[in-house]
Amino acid sequence: MNKRISGQLAVAFVCMILGLMLATQFKNVQKVGGNVSLQRTQELTREVQKLKQENEKMSNQIREYDQKIWEYENAAKGEGNLSQAIYDELDRMRMLAGVVDLEGPGVVVTVNTFLTTPQGQLISNVNYEDLLKLVNELNAAGAEAISINDERIISTTEIRNAGDYIVINTNRHSVPFEIKAIGNPDTLEAALKLLGGVSDELSQVLDINIRRENKLYIPKYEKLIEFDYAKPVQDK
Amino acid sequence: MWLPIFGMLLGILLGMLLPIRVPMAYSSYMSIAVLAALDSVFGAIRAYLEGNFETDVFISGFFGNSFLAAGLAYLGDRLDVPIYLAAIFAFGNRMFNNFAIIRRYLLGYLKKRSYVENDKNK
Repeated sequence: MNKRISGQLAVAFVCMILGLMLATQFKNVQKVGGNVSLQRTQELTREVQKLKQENEKMSNQIREYDQKIWEYENAAKGEGNLSQAIYDELDRMRMLAGVVDLEGPGVVVTVNTFLTTPQGQLISNVNYEDLLKLVNELNAAGAEAISINDERIISTTEIRNAGDYIVINTNRHSVPFEIKAIGNPDTLEAALKLLGGVSDELSQVLDINIRRENKLYIPKYEKLIEFDYAKPVQDK
Repeated sequence: MWLPIFGMLLGILLGMLLPIRVPMAYSSYMSIAVLAALDSVFGAIRAYLEGNFETDVFISGFFGNSFLAAGLAYLGDRLDVPIYLAAIFAFGNRMFNNFAIIRRYLLGYLKKRSYVENDKNK
């Protein structure tokens, strides 16, 4: 009898541990959502690793650039006139490539959707083509730098639909879009507001607002520009 | 008979009330361990019904299976082999087997009792 009681007590103890484990696990799964969140964790871990690698690459690049600047400055000591020209050229190239922040006069175009008043339902969405058209028109009118929602538009920038978003420089954006362009404000505004032009066309379905600014700030392209395949031709 | 059930309820209550937390990373191993523990308990019920229940076997099996299952799952994760699937399969399979045997015993017991009662009524 005594043996039976002690055996039962042991079983009761083990069952208590089982209950404890069950409850703990239950709480855990309920709190974080079980399997799905595990996948999500792995996904995020991968992303973090990718970003870390990118970061490391970028800091390497920075070191490389610093080295180059130092070399140039060293070389410039003796030469004076020529080095100024090279420096100016470098600056111009930087502005063109989009790796420096720029400021200057220009226009700001905001693109938004309008709502149907009774139900408050969206009747149209901004398409990537609308943005491309605007950017194209601004470029044609001599814009020197363009950004959409502070994403600098450079030669490799993509503007494309991805679901409900528009991807620019691999970042997702949605309405409202704010296109900033540095250039001659008169020319830019006139080019957009041309009768039958892009603004005319788009304002049928979208809410487009163009305003001039005396001082615009356009941030630089934030990502790394890499050339894995293309090389400059050396011998001519 | 009621002692184990009472113990389990107490455990669940404690688990709900105490702020014990298993880190996210070990959650999957914990679930395997829980499965192994459940299997052990089913095995114990079966053994009890068959009359060859031994406390030391049960307790060693309970902890041994749990740790082995969690350890194997951990090893599998390190080796990138889904060993936890094997654990789920093995324990799941055994649990259903044990449950089937328990069911037969209980049904047999009920039948016997009804025969006895029928005999009494005659």
